[in-house]
Amino acid sequence: MIEVRDLVKEYRAGGGKTVRAVDGVSFHVADGEMVGLLGGNGAGKTTTMRIVATLLTPTSGMARVAGHDVRTDPIGVRRSLGYVSATTGVADRLSPREVLDSSGRLHGIERRLLADRIASLTASLDLGSFLDRPCGRLSSGQRQRVSLARALVHDPPALVLDEPTSTLDVVGARDLFAMLQSLRAEGRTILVSTHRLHEIEYRCDRFVIIDAGRIVAAGSRAELVADRSGGLEEAFFATIGGGAA
Amino acid sequence: MSSPHPTGGWPARLAIARRDLLEFIRDRRALFITLVMPMAMYPLLALSSTLGIRTAIFELDRRAESQRLDFVFSGTNAEPLAIRIGMLAEREEGRPEGWPETITARVVDPQSAQSLIDEGAADAWIDVPSGSLSKLDGAGTLPLEVRLSTVRPPDRRVKENVLAVMRGLADEARLIRLRRAGLPASLIEPLRVNFTGDVPQGSAAAVRDILPAVTAAVLVLLALLTATGAFYPAIDAIAGEKERGTIETLLISPCPMFDVVTGKFLAVFAVTLATLAANAISIVLTSTVLSRFLPGGFASGLGAGDLAACGLLTLLSYAGLAAVASALCLTVTAAAKSAKEAQNTLTPVVMLIAALAGVALVPGVEGRLWLPAVPFAGHVAVAKSMLSTFGGWGHVGPTVDGAAPQSSMELPVALAISVLSSIALTWLLLTVTAQIVANEEILFRGPEEATRGFRRPPHRSMPTVWQGCGVVAMGFAALWYAQGLAPGEFVPALIVQQSVAVLLPLLAVAWWQRVDARDAFAIRLPGGSWPRAGAALAGAALLGSGLFVIGAAVALAAWRGEVSPEARQFANQIVDLIQRSPTWATVLALAVMPAVCEELFFRGWVLSAFVGSRPTGRRAVVAVVAQAAAFAAFHLLPERMPQTFVMGLVLGGLVLATGSILPAIVAHAAHNATPVLLVAAASPAELDALTISTPGLPAWAVGAALGCLVVGAALLALARQRSHPEANVT
Repeated sequence: MIEVRDLVKEYRAGGGKTVRAVDGVSFHVADGEMVGLLGGNGAGKTTTMRIVATLLTPTSGMARVAGHDVRTDPIGVRRSLGYVSATTGVADRLSPREVLDSSGRLHGIERRLLADRIASLTASLDLGSFLDRPCGRLSSGQRQRVSLARALVHDPPALVLDEPTSTLDVVGARDLFAMLQSLRAEGRTILVSTHRLHEIEYRCDRFVIIDAGRIVAAGSRAELVADRSGGLEEAFFATIGGGAA
Repeated sequence: MSSPHPTGGWPARLAIARRDLLEFIRDRRALFITLVMPMAMYPLLALSSTLGIRTAIFELDRRAESQRLDFVFSGTNAEPLAIRIGMLAEREEGRPEGWPETITARVVDPQSAQSLIDEGAADAWIDVPSGSLSKLDGAGTLPLEVRLSTVRPPDRRVKENVLAVMRGLADEARLIRLRRAGLPASLIEPLRVNFTGDVPQGSAAAVRDILPAVTAAVLVLLALLTATGAFYPAIDAIAGEKERGTIETLLISPCPMFDVVTGKFLAVFAVTLATLAANAISIVLTSTVLSRFLPGGFASGLGAGDLAACGLLTLLSYAGLAAVASALCLTVTAAAKSAKEAQNTLTPVVMLIAALAGVALVPGVEGRLWLPAVPFAGHVAVAKSMLSTFGGWGHVGPTVDGAAPQSSMELPVALAISVLSSIALTWLLLTVTAQIVANEEILFRGPEEATRGFRRPPHRSMPTVWQGCGVVAMGFAALWYAQGLAPGEFVPALIVQQSVAVLLPLLAVAWWQRVDARDAFAIRLPGGSWPRAGAALAGAALLGSGLFVIGAAVALAAWRGEVSPEARQFANQIVDLIQRSPTWATVLALAVMPAVCEELFFRGWVLSAFVGSRPTGRRAVVAVVAQAAAFAAFHLLPERMPQTFVMGLVLGGLVLATGSILPAIVAHAAHNATPVLLVAAASPAELDALTISTPGLPAWAVGAALGCLVVGAALLALARQRSHPEANVT
């Protein structure tokens, strides 16, 4: 469903220098699979995700979602993808209903179908108690649920979530991952990034560990922790060459 | 998972507009500032201006009352003279213009007269010397000293009244003298003019006279306030979304970027239109109230229906202005990362809009075909014409500034040009905005880069385009202020102008930006060897001289002796300087100094910045044209701009062709030195023939100049065969 091959992204930094934020990254996420993209700050996770979500253009390499290339068919990619950013991206002065309605209209969903879709998402993500309250008055967990609903309003087969739990407390993060689990059970493909490894250690099918723009390890939890004592966190630090906290 | 739905187009644009409008109307503070403030502002503005208008009317009334003239006379012949004036006052026919309605004359002793004048109880005191009447009726000239009151407020009308009375007295004396000489009265009255028709009188007429000018000023104010209506929603639309982190979710919607930007534009446009409507309604209501305070008869001439029609006409003609302002504000704020940054970038836009709108008030521009196409100026001009034609006071004067009114055929054409140019400009601005928003380097610009402006950048070989534009902007500002700082003398003024407006900003920026001076200013030997450099410099000198003569011939033929007073004064200053000063000093001041300073500025820094380090042919052409346009604009006088523009093109091409700035400096110096040497060598008779009003240059001069151009170009071509490798444009 999501395919990334030899992806390179370079930025122009100050003083005419070029910074390579993503350096030959290749991975794929199969249909119905949930893959965790792991890495520290500045590792290249967000850049990779933004390329997959068509917010950035790759310098070289290829990224596809549901067969649509991010360069040649960005509209096709956006139709097939739901994107959740760390900042939630919901407008403070709009209610969750208006956020979903606006997003649905942008996706060209017919009005009656959109109403049904909003009702369905309200029920499945438990938005009913705050559906008509301004998003600015919602808690971080509630805002992230609205953000997830907005990403799902056009019923995409794939979801990309860039550090969705960074503003959430433990309970909020657990609830969110519970929702992601049920979405995967529905058959959706999920690529999620985080640097809070314990949250997804037992929830993802596979992991891709990225450091300084390069993939340093990839595989299931079992494959990554094999031959090492401890869990995913120890495996992560071992692969990126840092000491365990 | 559902199948894909059709996306983009007007449904998406309207969805984005609806979303942005919902957000905007829930921001009560912004809503108040944008829509409610005008409703409160105009009454306050009107109240304060009404005070001024009423004061002016009171003053007009007072002046009307000052048709009364209080005389005091003293001296031995005071009484007969007072009686003579009294008799003249009673006779209503044949009184000269400006004769006061009422005249009082008191005959007192000089001390009492002095007291009356000092107390302000009389307007004028005349101490009539003995034998005055016999002198008046005889053949001599009667000298009279009139002392005006120094206590009463200064009023030129008192003096005019006194003069009118004295003229009447003199006319009477002339008639007496003619009768005595047996000559007819018609001898001194070869012509008598009588006016018929209704001429507006009094303060009401005065108010009607100033009304068009007030309307024009209000239209400019309305243009500015309408544009400010776009500020807040435009800031919120893109920069605000970036600040709140909501822009990403919008940009991953399945819509082309142009649709996203158009949706945002529709929201900003709707708010701007609402601001325009609020302002127009407030102006109409305020005018209705204000008209009641104006002198009698005026309010009845402008009914509520007229004012409502004016409001609608203004809305119609300003809809394009609202669209252009909305798109411009979006474009300007599109690159900003935060609302604060966007606010800062909008500050110059206010000045730009005010300056452009003010162009419509410049005398002589009304009725020009290009005016409706100029953003803001065109909208104000069309609104002025519409109000003047249909708005109820077209009968007062032809147009606001007295120019010929636009006929009913011209107005639709002007409106059509205004609408079409507004649509085209809006579309262009939205296209640029879409490109800016889609530029990921701008979209994801980090905070470290946003605050980089106060650090000196690392060393680089060539300036950037922004640095080139920045220097031009600084140069224009410095040029403006240099006008005020410069001394009155021409040469010191030129030195101040060149040093303050040209060298200072250039050196400051070049030092700050740590740019390689050799590369940025193309300081290198043309042709790569001394012989070829010599050929290039000689060719450049011939080219410069030839260009001056050909340019002068074309300009003289085009002007046909009609130039602005400023251009004539400039030419006279130069001729005067050449005649007064040693030739070498004049060449240094007028040719060498500007050539070095302006070439380093335009063909050095600005051209390098625009061309870049790896120029393509297209970019080189754009760069040469852009720097030539800036060079022409720098010379301020419209008459000189075509010639300086062509000169800029040639010099820019010369630098790119030879890879060196030296030929451009030599050509520029030769161009400026040619008139100096010609004038210095000319005899006074030849100089008279060479004035600016001359219809053309002699054929031999044009032929010689063409020869210079051909030989110069050949020498440059010879030198270019081994020009610097960097000179070649790919």
